[in-house]
Amino acid sequence: MMPHTVLGVDGTYPVLFLVWLLPLVGAIVLWAFGPQLRSLGGPIGAALVGTAFIAALFSWNDAAQIKGSVSGAHVSMFTWLPGFAFGLLFDRLALIWTLIITGVGFLIHVYSIGYMAGDRAFARFFAYMNFFVFAMLTLVLSDNFVGLLVGWGLVGLASYFLIGFWFERPTAVAAARKAFVINVVGDVGILFAILVIVSKIGSIGYGDTFAGVGHAFTSQELFIVCIALFIGCAAKSAQVPLHTWLPDAMEGPTPVSALIHAATMVTAGVYLIARCAPLWTASAEARELVGVIGALTAIGGAGLGIAQWDIKRILAYSTMSQIGYMIMAVGVGAFSAGVLHFLTHAFFKAELFLGAGIIIHNLANEQDVRRMGGLRKQMPFAFAAIGVGVLAICGIPGFSGYFSKDAVLYQTLQQGHPWLYAIGVLTAGITAYYMFRLLFVTFFGPYRGNVDPSDLGIRHPELAGTPGQAPKLEHEADEHEHHGSEHAAHAPAWIMSAPVAILIPFSIGVGWLAYGGETSPWQTFFAPLFPAAAPAASGAPIGELGSGLIVLLVVAVGIALAYLRYGTQAALKGSVERLRTETVRMPPVLANAYYFDAAIDALIVKPAAAAGRFFGQFLDPVVIDGGVREVVFSANWFGHLFRSFQTGLVRAYALYIVLGVACFVVYYAAIGTGK
Amino acid sequence: MNPMNPSFFDVPIENYIALSAVIFFLGAVGVIVRRNPLIMLMSIELMFNAANLALITFAKAWVNAAGHIFAFLVITVAAAEAAIGLAIVVIVFRRSANVDVDEIATLHG
Repeated sequence: MMPHTVLGVDGTYPVLFLVWLLPLVGAIVLWAFGPQLRSLGGPIGAALVGTAFIAALFSWNDAAQIKGSVSGAHVSMFTWLPGFAFGLLFDRLALIWTLIITGVGFLIHVYSIGYMAGDRAFARFFAYMNFFVFAMLTLVLSDNFVGLLVGWGLVGLASYFLIGFWFERPTAVAAARKAFVINVVGDVGILFAILVIVSKIGSIGYGDTFAGVGHAFTSQELFIVCIALFIGCAAKSAQVPLHTWLPDAMEGPTPVSALIHAATMVTAGVYLIARCAPLWTASAEARELVGVIGALTAIGGAGLGIAQWDIKRILAYSTMSQIGYMIMAVGVGAFSAGVLHFLTHAFFKAELFLGAGIIIHNLANEQDVRRMGGLRKQMPFAFAAIGVGVLAICGIPGFSGYFSKDAVLYQTLQQGHPWLYAIGVLTAGITAYYMFRLLFVTFFGPYRGNVDPSDLGIRHPELAGTPGQAPKLEHEADEHEHHGSEHAAHAPAWIMSAPVAILIPFSIGVGWLAYGGETSPWQTFFAPLFPAAAPAASGAPIGELGSGLIVLLVVAVGIALAYLRYGTQAALKGSVERLRTETVRMPPVLANAYYFDAAIDALIVKPAAAAGRFFGQFLDPVVIDGGVREVVFSANWFGHLFRSFQTGLVRAYALYIVLGVACFVVYYAAIGTGK
Repeated sequence: MNPMNPSFFDVPIENYIALSAVIFFLGAVGVIVRRNPLIMLMSIELMFNAANLALITFAKAWVNAAGHIFAFLVITVAAAEAAIGLAIVVIVFRRSANVDVDEIATLHG
């Protein structure tokens, strides 16, 4: 057997198991005893995730340790078959993800105690959330591809549970199913990559695989592995063309959108590519392709962000667009920049979603920004939270998004992709435009919640923005409101605002980690994992400062356009009129999200359904069942025939014997005895 | 000793075999056409004895004792068969008070 190479310093790290398994304990306890625990379920779930976060902090030194050429902590658990060794790997990359999963996860758990108060499945919600945290940690902490795939599948399952949490709503069930099916497409891609790796390397470990990059794969095989892995990334991280589930996933409760569909799960693709950095470093074609897909997703998502009216869908498309940035960065080889953008995005996007959640909670589940307006005075705290988030996502200097977005764009340019850089810069402008549009429409001008929806151009008010009003099951009709605004009274207001308040300084501050270019704390931290990739021969035609100025200029143009269109006094006064005309005149290509759903429907769903009908209504019942039935019929017919010989009459049997003997006699008489 | 010596064995072997075949045929027809079980048993005895005749004829013709031995074996089996057959007839007669074998046809398919 070949020598087993592992990343990380071998040892026993008991605290690491605490980090990993505490959320699982929470999930099991809350699942089993949810009905008994009732409102205790939330605090228990939050406390376990919080403890896991503290344990992860205490393991910081394990993850950051460097011994010779390896860094991080590695625990061997068991070997299933030769080459199939399972263990945990807790290095600097895993540390960043673990801290975000448990840290931001803890804040969102606390927030959910307020947001989900009064929901009749309160404990079940936290069981799912804890299960998600456990699954995501499995994904991140695994030291091999199979463990990763297990986590990969489990987060998909958790996402399915949580999108469809309000399962009385048919739209939520459909969205959950869609997310699950598309994610399975990605799982199959990863499984395929694992099969190729095992056939070439004979092992599933990251260490063995990366050690074999130079000699065990031809460049074509390496490209195939990268593409197969990237199919998984594209499905999980909502990259074109597998992104269509993410906007629909907003059917889940808002904390779910914040944790799973903004901060953590959807960035699993970024994690996988950063984890497999040696593979991407060795395959230029894969870098090219993934970079292009990332850039397309970035600009495509931003373009759709302009056209949305549902506050969560605006944020969903912006998530898709920002993940496009991350994928573009890690795709072209700017790994530390991509991971930095993940980190900053986790904070500011969670903050945006939680801020939006406060609005939705206080407006009795209104999600349509056309029916908001002027909320600055009513909800100053939500305004502050979303305002900081908007400034951060737009990349205003000083806020975290500025540093990470600049790093992503500049390093993309440095790697020799001027076109991707141009798309990224344009995306930054569009992002600024639609985020400020969100800000102006939601928080400025008059309150439009009491305006007749048709005056705002909303054609189906019952569909436009009133989720959470699913028909109640009769037996619980008045025991618990499904999810109502007046139930904020169940939990103190601070339980929702405190997590957001904690996120605000982070979404301003974490970007400063990257301050200082090559010698910044961030670059130094990741230097052992991602050796600075050699810039392309052409290098960058402009310096980092120049690049930053260009981005700022484009962002300023985007903000100015948003201001002129939505922010001026005149625009605010006539906002009802102007939102109606904008709704009516929305270009259909944007309103239909570039027809991706229609195309997938026509190319895949419809043929599959037709094939299903062919197999279900013709091939199976007529050909296969018909064949089986024919065999049965003929057996039956022969049975009837032979039965008729069994007369029960002794004399008949005697006759048969005589006839049989006569046959023998005739036979021998005819051919002789053979002599 | 020439087995085919006419002075010693002047009836040709074909006659014995023909007689045996005729008796066997009569027995077989008797089994098939008669419905009284006793007659059927007697017909079976006829077939046995036709077979015995053939066996002994061949034993004589080939000067081989095996034929004689088989004839004795057949006689023994015939005795056993008669005993069992009569026992069955008696039991059936007790159950159905009928001696027509066509009435005892409950074991049909």
